[in-house]
Amino acid sequence: MAKEVIMPKFGFTQESAEIVKWLKQDGDTVEMGDPIAEVTTDKVNMEVEATESGILAGLLFKEGDVVPVTQVIAYIVKPGESAPQRMAAAPQPPPGVVSPPIEQVSAAASQTAITPVAMRVAQNLGVDPQLVVGTGIGGRVTREDVESFAHSQPADGKVRATPAARRIAREQQVDLRAVQGTGPNARVQGSDVTQFISIQPTAQDTLVKPVSAMVGNMEAKVVPMTSIRRTIAERLQHSYQQAPHIYFDADVDVSALDALRQRANQLPEARDAKVSLTALLIRIASWALAKHPYVNSRLDDNKILLFTDVNVGMAVALENGLIVPVIRNSDKKSVFNIASEMNALVERARLGQLRPDDLTNGTFTISNLGMFGVDRFTAIINPPQTAILAVGRSVKKFVPDETGQPVVRSMMTITLSADHRVIDGAVAARFLDDLRKGIEQPELIIL
Amino acid sequence: MREITFAEALREAIRQSMEKDERVFVIGEDIGVYGGAFGVTAGLIEKFGSGRIVDTPISEAAIAGACIGAALAGQRPIGEMQFMDFVTIAMEQLVLQAAKIRFMFGGKATVPMVMRLPGGSGTGAAAQHSGSVESWFVNVPGLKVVVPSNPYDAKGLLLSAIEDDNPVIFIENKLLYKTKGDVPEDMYRIPLGQAKVVREGRHLTVIATSVMVNRAMEAAEKLKEEGIELEIVDPRTLRPLDSDTITKSVKKTGKALIVHEAVKTGGFGGEILSTIVESDAFDYLEAPVRRLGGLDIPIPYNRNLEYHAVPQVESIVVEARKLARGEY
Repeated sequence: MAKEVIMPKFGFTQESAEIVKWLKQDGDTVEMGDPIAEVTTDKVNMEVEATESGILAGLLFKEGDVVPVTQVIAYIVKPGESAPQRMAAAPQPPPGVVSPPIEQVSAAASQTAITPVAMRVAQNLGVDPQLVVGTGIGGRVTREDVESFAHSQPADGKVRATPAARRIAREQQVDLRAVQGTGPNARVQGSDVTQFISIQPTAQDTLVKPVSAMVGNMEAKVVPMTSIRRTIAERLQHSYQQAPHIYFDADVDVSALDALRQRANQLPEARDAKVSLTALLIRIASWALAKHPYVNSRLDDNKILLFTDVNVGMAVALENGLIVPVIRNSDKKSVFNIASEMNALVERARLGQLRPDDLTNGTFTISNLGMFGVDRFTAIINPPQTAILAVGRSVKKFVPDETGQPVVRSMMTITLSADHRVIDGAVAARFLDDLRKGIEQPELIIL
Repeated sequence: MREITFAEALREAIRQSMEKDERVFVIGEDIGVYGGAFGVTAGLIEKFGSGRIVDTPISEAAIAGACIGAALAGQRPIGEMQFMDFVTIAMEQLVLQAAKIRFMFGGKATVPMVMRLPGGSGTGAAAQHSGSVESWFVNVPGLKVVVPSNPYDAKGLLLSAIEDDNPVIFIENKLLYKTKGDVPEDMYRIPLGQAKVVREGRHLTVIATSVMVNRAMEAAEKLKEEGIELEIVDPRTLRPLDSDTITKSVKKTGKALIVHEAVKTGGFGGEILSTIVESDAFDYLEAPVRRLGGLDIPIPYNRNLEYHAVPQVESIVVEARKLARGEY
């Protein structure tokens, strides 16, 4: 019977440790007590010892991987025995906690959902981990997240909500426990409920079935406007009518970026989330936005608000509409982090489990339709932001090199829509120029 | 339009009433040759004589009692006290007699009188001359209570009060007497029991009375620069109270701040708050209803302490900002 070697827990508050070095390799014979790996927490390096004598087998992580405590990292087997197939080490939800049907959640998603210590704390405090917003690696729910969530919830398990929030929830049949409150002590405000409704496909929406009707002498399928469709309609109509849009195209060479993406995906860091072109573009746009505050802005009545935080949203097509999840502080995150956050957000969006937090406070938006074969397009600004970037597909083209000889390069057209009330042509052009530089020479971002 | 002071507007209402109806007369201390403690009746004795501008000895009980007797005998008296605080001397007359006679005589007798009371702090007049005790009277069925905040309302409300067949407690904040405003010359009336939205806004409703309306308006100007829009409701009369205007506004903004000068504990703000939470506006509340009122102390003589004993523009700004920003 294979003996599991788990990532030990060295400290009370420790949630994970990084494997610095495997001191024994697959197939090595080990004695009980032998150090088999060197690991590090944020404070100190420790050794993981063999818990039994035998043969080390099935190392599950590479050096440099950060592994939650109690997770199996390897097995010790008897001669002739083989390590068991790697199991999805999904933490078991505590009894009484509703978890989504297993087939909806990929193993990777649930694996990164919550740390074991956070799960135990959640169990002790009676917190439903599904309701907690994770701030750990890859959006993982940490012990602090659970504790601060629990702290924000009244001890009696009753929801804090304003009378207005309760009325709206009653009228719209929303369970207030699912709504994240933004008021004092996380009290649910009326606006929290309306926003919650606007981003959740409601029961009514999923029941929407087209019905046939005669329009004049033509037959038509009548599809009621769902709440998400109504929200999209109102916001975009408002934006298109209120904001004078100006558009700027640029053909950019993405050869270097393509190469970078391929190299990145060879790295161990890309194991959980492959780096996409969109993730790279978010990183580059964030870098350029930090240099051009007017593009990272909002128009609020008679004031222009220039943000120091850069939160880039990306348009995601769902079956019943379009939403824009936001990567917070995207200028301060690695491409790997952005990629894994994107995965988590898209997953939540598809499952209808987005939290209001996921969609708010965006300062700029990227819409990439390249995967649909679109060469170029213009996008309507996502209010109250003042600019949006539309990204077309990248195609191989002959372009002249320095000597005028045709060479094959990967080319892509990006189109910036800017609100002319806030952004002048020259400002937009300079931003676009930085964007082009960042795309064509991504090394600039670290130089 | 013609601009006159609050005191002049009151005087004009009294003069026009006396010219129109010979049953109307004024009775109080030093209201004749001296023109009243705050000059409201100045010049009226020359026009109407000492028979209708009646000076009395220093006895508030006598002023109130004389008003009640005259009213029962068919006159329409206007009593004046030098300071609202001294109404304590006349409480038996006002509360046990004026307020109850119509009821106890089965409607066969009425007491059509107005008792004018200069109230409020801010003049350095110390604890016995600075009170705001309107809520005592609101608690007495049979009395109406009027709290004007500007010259226009002062004239229109006083005319209605004089013509009302019930005893009316008419409270004049001392700091308002010299404030100016547009006042028409004709005898217009403002019905008792009709509040006014004096400023429209969307972030929170401020229900303020008397001089606090002016302070709330000033606070609103300051907060406007921060993008916070106050809606200000002036109830104008506390009894009868126009609860519809108040609750309608609170339903619109979802938040309410009540401001009065009277001591917060047991003050009329509690009544307004109850009116809100008992109504359908409850279901629209987005924050606790807050009150700003006088501290639980007698008004100090020291000017700095006096200033801080009651709500000021700054304290309204701070409280309204917190409420608007969702800090409550």
